[in-house]
Amino acid sequence: MSLVFRTALILNFVTQFAVAQIVPEEISVETMPDRGPNWFIGKTGNGGYIFDATDGEMKGMLSLSRYTPAVTFSPPRQEFYAAESYLARGVYGERTDIVAIYDYENLSPIAEIEIPNYIARLQVRSHMGLLNNGRHLAVLNMNPGHSVSIVDVEDRVFAHEASTPGCAVIMPVAQNDFLQVCGDGTLQLIQLDLSGFEANRVRSDIFFSVMDDAIFDRVASSNTGWFLITHSGTIFHASTDDDQIIIEDGWNPRLEGEENWRPGGRNEIITAHHETGLIYVAMHEGPIDTHHEPGTEIWVLDSNSKRRIGKIALDTPANSILVTQEENPKLLVVDSEGGSHVYNAMTLSYERSIAIPGSTAFEDL
Amino acid sequence: MRIDTIIDRTYYWIDESARRTSLAMARKLSRRNFISKLGLFLTGAASFPLLPVARSFAQESVQEIGDPQSCDYWRYCAMSGTLCTCCGGTYTSCPPGSEASPITWVGTCTNPADGRSYLMSYNDCCGKAVCSRCGCHNTEGDKPVYFNSNSSTVLWCFGTENTSYHCTVSLVLGAADE
Repeated sequence: MSLVFRTALILNFVTQFAVAQIVPEEISVETMPDRGPNWFIGKTGNGGYIFDATDGEMKGMLSLSRYTPAVTFSPPRQEFYAAESYLARGVYGERTDIVAIYDYENLSPIAEIEIPNYIARLQVRSHMGLLNNGRHLAVLNMNPGHSVSIVDVEDRVFAHEASTPGCAVIMPVAQNDFLQVCGDGTLQLIQLDLSGFEANRVRSDIFFSVMDDAIFDRVASSNTGWFLITHSGTIFHASTDDDQIIIEDGWNPRLEGEENWRPGGRNEIITAHHETGLIYVAMHEGPIDTHHEPGTEIWVLDSNSKRRIGKIALDTPANSILVTQEENPKLLVVDSEGGSHVYNAMTLSYERSIAIPGSTAFEDL
Repeated sequence: MRIDTIIDRTYYWIDESARRTSLAMARKLSRRNFISKLGLFLTGAASFPLLPVARSFAQESVQEIGDPQSCDYWRYCAMSGTLCTCCGGTYTSCPPGSEASPITWVGTCTNPADGRSYLMSYNDCCGKAVCSRCGCHNTEGDKPVYFNSNSSTVLWCFGTENTSYHCTVSLVLGAADE
C-alpha cells in the first residue's frame, strides 16, 4: 500500500469522525423575559418595537395595523391593547376596526373586539386610553364628527359609543372617567358607569381660545391629572374631583427675550415625570403657526416652582419625546430624521441611539 | 365599412339636418314668433353686463404663479399630505382611479399674483396606496384635531367608498376678501 493511499484512508476516517461530532441545531422561539425598568415601545407605522432603554437591546415586536393610533400595556393583566383599522384588500375593500389584545409572553394576538369603523386613524397617543380601572378602553373616532368607543377589555365586548361633538383627546381620570379638549375652549368630563355606558357629562368654563392660542392635542399625564400646553407654550394642569373639573392657572416658562420660542413637533411634544413633577417640552424658535416644527431644544420645567430648570440642545431637532416613569428615568427622543435617542432624564446627558425603523413615538412599558 | 367612415357620415347627417331645419324655420316663422323673441332675448342678454351677484359666481379664473409641484406654491399654505400634482393629477383633479373625498378641511391663502386672499378647500383623493411623492406640510391657520374643520392632520377620506389616503388637491372656493 502506497504512502499516498494510506494517507487518504486516514484522512477519510478522521473527517467522518470530526463531522459526526457536530450536533445538528434546532430552531426555537423565544418568549418574553420579565419586564425590566426603562423598557419602552417604539411605535412605528409597522408595529411596536419593544426595547430596553438601559442597554438599547430589542426584546420583541408587536405587529400592528398601519393606522393604529396607540398601543398600551396593562401590567395586572399582562396584556397589550391596540386600536387597529384594516381594509380587506390593503388599500381598498371592506374596512374593519378592532381593539386587538396581545399577550405579553408571546406578543401574539389573543382576542379582538370589533368596534365602529370610525377610528381617527392618526398617530396620536391620546386618541386611545385605558381608563384607570383597567377595564374600559376608550378609542377616539372621527367620521368626521367626533365620538368615543368604549370597550370592556375584561369581558372582551364593545360597550358603548358616546357622541362627543367638537371634543377630542382622551385623558383618563379618577377610576372610570376621562377628560377631553373641546374646540369651544373648554374641557369635557365624561363619567362612565360600571358597564362602560355614559353616566354623566360635565363641561368646564372656557379657559382658552382655539383661534388665538389653541391647546395642542398632545397632552402629558401627571400624578394627579394632565398637563396641557398651548401653541405659545402656556401650560395648564387639569384634574377632577368627582364631577368637578379643576383647571389651574396657566403659566409660561419663557423668559424675557424668548417670546418667539414655542413648543412644536409632529408627534408627542410634551411629557412629564409623575413623581418629580418634571415636564419636558420640545421647543423651537419661530413665528406663530409653526407648531409642527420639530424642537431644536428640549426644555425641562419644574411644575412645582413653575420654572425652567434645564435645557437639552439637539443636533437634530425632535419630533416626539417620552420620559419613562422610573426612579432613574430615561428621556426618549425621536428626531426629525427618524433617529431614536436615549437621554438620562435627570442629568440630561446623552446615553445612546437606537435603530427603530420608521419610529414616530414611544409608549412607556 | 370602417368606424371612421361611419362617424364622419353621422356627423354629416347631424350637420345637414340642423342646416335644413334652421332654413325651414327661417322661412316659416315670423319675427313676432315666440322662438324669434326667445332668440332675440338670449342674444341681447349676452350684451348686458352681469349683475354683481352673478359676477361673483362667474369668477374670472384665478391667476396662477409658481410651481404646482412645489410645497411653496401659494395654494398649499394650509396643505398637509402628498401633492396630487406629482402623482398623475393636478391641483384640482385626483389621479386616475382614485376617489375624491367630498368632505374637506379649509384654509385661507394669499395669491401673490393678485394679492388677494382665497378660501381654499383641501380634498383628499382616496382608495389607492399613499403616493408619497412631493410630501408637503404647511400649517398656516392649522388647528388641532378637536377643531377638525381647520385641521390638516386629519385623514379626510370620509364619504368615499374606500378610505385609504392617496394624495391631496387644493381647490379655490372663492375670494375670501369679498
